[in-house]
Amino acid sequence: MACASHGSVVRGDSPAAYFQAQVSNSLDYIKLHKGHGARVVGIMCEYTPRELIMAAGGIPVCLCGGSGEMVEPAERVLPSNLCSLIKSTFGYSLEKSNPFLEMADLIVAETTCDGKKKMYELLGQQYPMHVLELPQKPDDPDAFAHWVRELMKLKIALEKRFSIVITDEKLRNAIRLMNRERKLKRGLAELMKCEVPPLTGRDLLDMKSLVACMPKDQLQYENALKTLPTRVQDTSAGQGVRVLLTGVPLPHGAERVMDIIEGHGGVVVCQENCSGIKPVLEDISEDAPDMIHAIAAKYFHLPCSVMTPNTKRMELLLQLSREYQAQCVIELVWRTCITYDVESACVKRLVEDEMNIPYLRIETDYAPSDSARIALRVQSLFETVSARGSSQESSLKGCCHD
Amino acid sequence: MFYAGVDAGSRTIKVVLIHDADRRVVASGLCAQGVRQAVLAEELFQSVLREARLQRNDIARVVATGYGRNALDWADTTVTEITCQAYGVRHQVPHVRMVIDIGGEDSKVIRLDQQGIVHDFAMNDRCAAGTGRFLEIVADRLEMKLQDLGQITRMAEHPAVISSMCVVFAETEIVGLLASEASPANIVAGVQNSIAKRILSMVGGKIEGPVVFAGGVALIPGMSLALEKELKCPVEIARDPQMTAAFGAALIAAGQKSKVNAGLDHCLLGVGK
Ligand code: SF4
Ligand code: SF4
Repeated sequence: MACASHGSVVRGDSPAAYFQAQVSNSLDYIKLHKGHGARVVGIMCEYTPRELIMAAGGIPVCLCGGSGEMVEPAERVLPSNLCSLIKSTFGYSLEKSNPFLEMADLIVAETTCDGKKKMYELLGQQYPMHVLELPQKPDDPDAFAHWVRELMKLKIALEKRFSIVITDEKLRNAIRLMNRERKLKRGLAELMKCEVPPLTGRDLLDMKSLVACMPKDQLQYENALKTLPTRVQDTSAGQGVRVLLTGVPLPHGAERVMDIIEGHGGVVVCQENCSGIKPVLEDISEDAPDMIHAIAAKYFHLPCSVMTPNTKRMELLLQLSREYQAQCVIELVWRTCITYDVESACVKRLVEDEMNIPYLRIETDYAPSDSARIALRVQSLFETVSARGSSQESSLKGCCHD
Repeated sequence: MFYAGVDAGSRTIKVVLIHDADRRVVASGLCAQGVRQAVLAEELFQSVLREARLQRNDIARVVATGYGRNALDWADTTVTEITCQAYGVRHQVPHVRMVIDIGGEDSKVIRLDQQGIVHDFAMNDRCAAGTGRFLEIVADRLEMKLQDLGQITRMAEHPAVISSMCVVFAETEIVGLLASEASPANIVAGVQNSIAKRILSMVGGKIEGPVVFAGGVALIPGMSLALEKELKCPVEIARDPQMTAAFGAALIAAGQKSKVNAGLDHCLLGVGK
């Protein structure tokens, strides 16, 4: 990857700066369009086929909660041993403090993990909700056909609810728009392949969108793609230990672990998770004969830990670790997230045996009480990366035996 | 030249001074941790210097470690206690593959690769049940001194079964055992077994030796035997087990100037101050 070696980006003119006002930007956009008859459709997972919603004149908006403050209210109803993401999302509904949720004309969700699935039942008592049944054996020949039928049912449900007809033309347009957004996001993520990346992982994380295909966001992505490759971070910031971050997503407000990693000498060059590159890797053919089928395929290929077996995630990790020249892998698991937690045993083995780099699993929640302990683990990991690097260079065994 | 390692642990502070020629320990010291830890650590450092008849500027570099490492602004760099512990123990037992470190408020299992570099580690730091704090609470309950706990385990005939995973509940269990007239010996042996079981669960899969036991709890008689029984392999107690992390820090301080450690150097300079 060709990178510029001079110049610097100050925080103020960082392309991520615009995204600091992301919530209010998105809110303005939604209010404006809702005023003009658009429907607001809440989503909470990367399996949700945004193209179908957009073709129905809906604006897909992410409702995932990242605020630790919403956990406590949620625990009045939900069990405490549930992942923070689920509790925070639900907490907002109790407090009526997520404006996107309050404006939603419909929520589209899927049967992914048990916690989410059952939380949706409760949410469905307060808000209009459509739940797709996501088959969980990706290699089973019947599973995909079932998923296509689920999308067909969603199409009919959307048409009925919004009294519209979802034409092929509308679907094709939505596919085009989403492909464009995915391409822009992929382009940004790929800038991190650079030896001295022009962004931090945190910058990139901040540049995610809450609302799908918001023109203002896309303009920012385009500008960033034009300007960033010719600029680099001041070198001290860019030259950290290259981290491949995997595991659970980091919703808006839950960036603490990212900050700990990058505050202790790391740079997260790749985010293999649902708030990172994973959902934007595959596009949908714009001239597929059966568009519902094509949409279904893209989403069904997403390698989430709710799938069994989830071999595609392992292949993806291996590929990404090479492309981004990761020096270590950090896996984030929200406490009590059973699927990612169990699967972490496979990831650890993959990282240690096939990538031959150090692996660290961080299990935490939205409460900041363990930040110092996480920092200790991260620092220790980086010391190991560094010690391994120098032992390979000199083939000597370390400072005590010289 | 001389180098210093300071380990600001959760319960105690340790200082080790070494000579760079042969990595010989020239002086060391230990004191209880407190609120003003930067001051306490510096006072200890000064007193160790006096003991060694050295001046501050005889010390070429100071590396701080332990949970309070970032508070010691007079140290040159900081390194985590995981790396320091591995370096310290590896110097004593060159082929060590696993270090079990049980300290005041946490316990760790550190696995080293064949090159002697940290491979991975597990920590118990959310709960006191597998740590020295657990033994302190038991000593309190039994109205005994911590140091004497180990002695009486020799008299244990039927170690009590303590199954609570939480130290508060375990304490309740102990009160129950006392009420049912279990002997202190059996209770202490039971507690040691339960700590060893926690360590075993942190160890996870296969164990490759040599296994070395470090940290303050290694000084309590009976603990290493309890570990051997659970791990089903020999467990060697580190020399001066409370001091190995500080010793490792001093070794790193001495090694940082050399080319060999350039990589670690880079990292340490990145994360230090
Ligand atoms: S991690 Fe799985 S369940 Fe969570 S958003 Fe991604 S696909 Fe959905
Ligand atoms: S992090 Fe895990 S438990 Fe939480 S919502 Fe996602 S899949 Fe479910």
